[in-house]
Amino acid sequence: MSIMEYNGGSVVAMVGKNCVAIASDKRLGVQLMTVSTEFPKIFPATDKSFIGLPGLATDIQTLSERFRFKINMYKLGEEREIEPRTLAHMVSSTLYERRFGPYFVEPIIAGLDKHNQPFICGMDLIGCINFAKDFVVGGTSGESLFGICESLWEPDLEPEDLFEVISQSMLNAVDRDCLSGWGAIVHVITPEKVITRTLKARMD
Amino acid sequence: MNPVSLYDIDSLTISPVEAPVERQFYPYADNGGTSLAIAGADYCLVASDTRQSSGYSISSRYSPKAFKLTEKAVLATNGFFADGLALTKRLGQKLEWYKHAHDKEMSTRALAQMLSNTLYYKRFFPYYVFNLLGGIDEQGRGVVYSYDPVGSYEPEMYRAGGSAASLVQPFLDNQVGLKNQQGAQRTPLPLDTAIRIAKDAFTSATERDIYTGDYLEIFVIRQEGVTTERIDLKKD
Amino acid sequence: MDSFVNNFKKSTSTWEDQSLLDNFVNFDPVKEFSLPTFDIPSCLNPIEFLKAHTDENSTTECRIKLEHGTTTLSFKFQGGIIVAADSRASSGSYIASQTVKKIIEINPYLLGTMAGGAADCSFWERELGRRCRLYELRNKERISVAAASKLLANMVYAYKGMGLSMGTMVTGWDKTGPNLFYVDSDGTRLKGDLFSVGSGSTFAYGVLDSGFDYELSAPEAIELGRRSIYQATFRDAASGGSINVYHVKQDGWEFIGNYDVGDLHWEYQDQPKPSLIGDVPMFNIQS
Repeated sequence: MSIMEYNGGSVVAMVGKNCVAIASDKRLGVQLMTVSTEFPKIFPATDKSFIGLPGLATDIQTLSERFRFKINMYKLGEEREIEPRTLAHMVSSTLYERRFGPYFVEPIIAGLDKHNQPFICGMDLIGCINFAKDFVVGGTSGESLFGICESLWEPDLEPEDLFEVISQSMLNAVDRDCLSGWGAIVHVITPEKVITRTLKARMD
Repeated sequence: MNPVSLYDIDSLTISPVEAPVERQFYPYADNGGTSLAIAGADYCLVASDTRQSSGYSISSRYSPKAFKLTEKAVLATNGFFADGLALTKRLGQKLEWYKHAHDKEMSTRALAQMLSNTLYYKRFFPYYVFNLLGGIDEQGRGVVYSYDPVGSYEPEMYRAGGSAASLVQPFLDNQVGLKNQQGAQRTPLPLDTAIRIAKDAFTSATERDIYTGDYLEIFVIRQEGVTTERIDLKKD
Repeated sequence: MDSFVNNFKKSTSTWEDQSLLDNFVNFDPVKEFSLPTFDIPSCLNPIEFLKAHTDENSTTECRIKLEHGTTTLSFKFQGGIIVAADSRASSGSYIASQTVKKIIEINPYLLGTMAGGAADCSFWERELGRRCRLYELRNKERISVAAASKLLANMVYAYKGMGLSMGTMVTGWDKTGPNLFYVDSDGTRLKGDLFSVGSGSTFAYGVLDSGFDYELSAPEAIELGRRSIYQATFRDAASGGSINVYHVKQDGWEFIGNYDVGDLHWEYQDQPKPSLIGDVPMFNIQS
């Protein structure tokens, strides 16, 4: 079994009209055994951006703390919040530092920039950034998520519609993956507020 | 074996190959492609793309891998095209013998079990094929049977198979099976909706799966017989 | 003179007639009822060949992914036997199906369960059903569960080491009463009172052992079986879908029901949790 599938878990992010959404499942497993059902893989970066970290749980925890530290240092040094695009490059270079002994995560970043323009991107485990205009996926349900997002997503979705699309994509994708699921969490980021909802999902 | 040693001049002068070379019997290839089948109240839809690939190259843009077996059943074969073809020929022959022995066409249910057995008789040298059998039963209702390569099968209402199966199946779960839709009314799926869903599923699969594309062939099986329709998919 | 005529009689019928006739008249039961024959690849080591293409850990390009992952259980109690199983089939981490019938109805009084290779279980248990019917016709008597399970064990034992994967429980009610046997593709055949088979079996055993009592009533026993499978689907990623429950009684098996785990979880969550110490009943029975 691949190390990327050791703990399971998936993250997806989508662009809407002046909003972005990011969702993750809540499973933490050790191969086929589910150990926790309260392990979301999304971490707040700023008031208007999130980092999703699907992959190996130990690296998720290490990196989420390293990123928290780096984001705080940036804020103290620059006296402003980090832009999502800058954040993406920071994450990318942090990963590339470990080019030959990588962290086993596929980060996904979603947020609104200072002009409230939506920004999402995905990355491989050594920091190759994929700037997408529609959606990015990561984790063990990646293929399933690609398929259903490609079918359900459309441009310029309003926040509530975007929530529905990302929720349906997440739920139906993880229902075809052994290693993801057991609940999901969705954040919809709008210029005014962040809407966070927990989804009731199949628990098998 | 160390490949460098082959080009070592010294070893070449003594003997061109100093270790035994192992040759392996490798009779399989993956030719990609995706199929999907949806069963309705009085019809069954079988859709299959026509791209045939080997590795990153496209061998053929129009090489159909779904075949009409009887007036009431269509078989879509995914995986290794040669095995799919051999299997289809064998089934065709068996169906012909059945017709002569019993003076009637084999029912879809019997065909489904026969396909399972045919696959299992090659349990130790399997056909590398993921089959979908769509048809209508004795009562005229649509039915889909899906198979693993060694003949484990199950009747279902909808199913995606092949290289983009994992991309298409969650979409079908949602749109045909109405999974994760609270309070959704379960009504019989009209044929035009099923065709629309099939087209949507394949345009999406073509976007993200390199082994799917070129043309989409849609078979519709009804009591009256089988009709075929061909639609363009992206060719990149 | 007769012998002279006989010498030439055969030649009047053409070869085609004869071979057609052979198909119907010269019915050979030995050939007809023997073990089925299988294609074998014509290479030096067919077993290694198959392993290279189907083994879990094989890295072959086009590996034939067989469907795996299961929780099944079955146990004897005063009212007969409860058989329960989940319905998930997975290949790798992809869920191939959530609606597999893992409890196979061999005939109206015999049940078999499915764990391991789905095709291996369904094919050999179908073959077992055929042989049980032949036994009935020949002996004017139903086959015992012990004999039926031994037929199955012997059939798969003939293919030992060739890569069959089957872990099954054969249950039924015969002259001697309710019977339960565990049979697998290694050739193991065990008589017992309680078994659980599959990737989720450890989780199921935990619940089953803590709640088991031979004197359980039928609704209690059914609930115990259902709850054990449910807990296994919760913890084991390769088990899930829905739970099928059967009850084996004197006059054959009875299908109790199909319960979707997606709904069952929330149903159980609303119920009070069982206490660890004290005489509080283990499970709440809703009949």
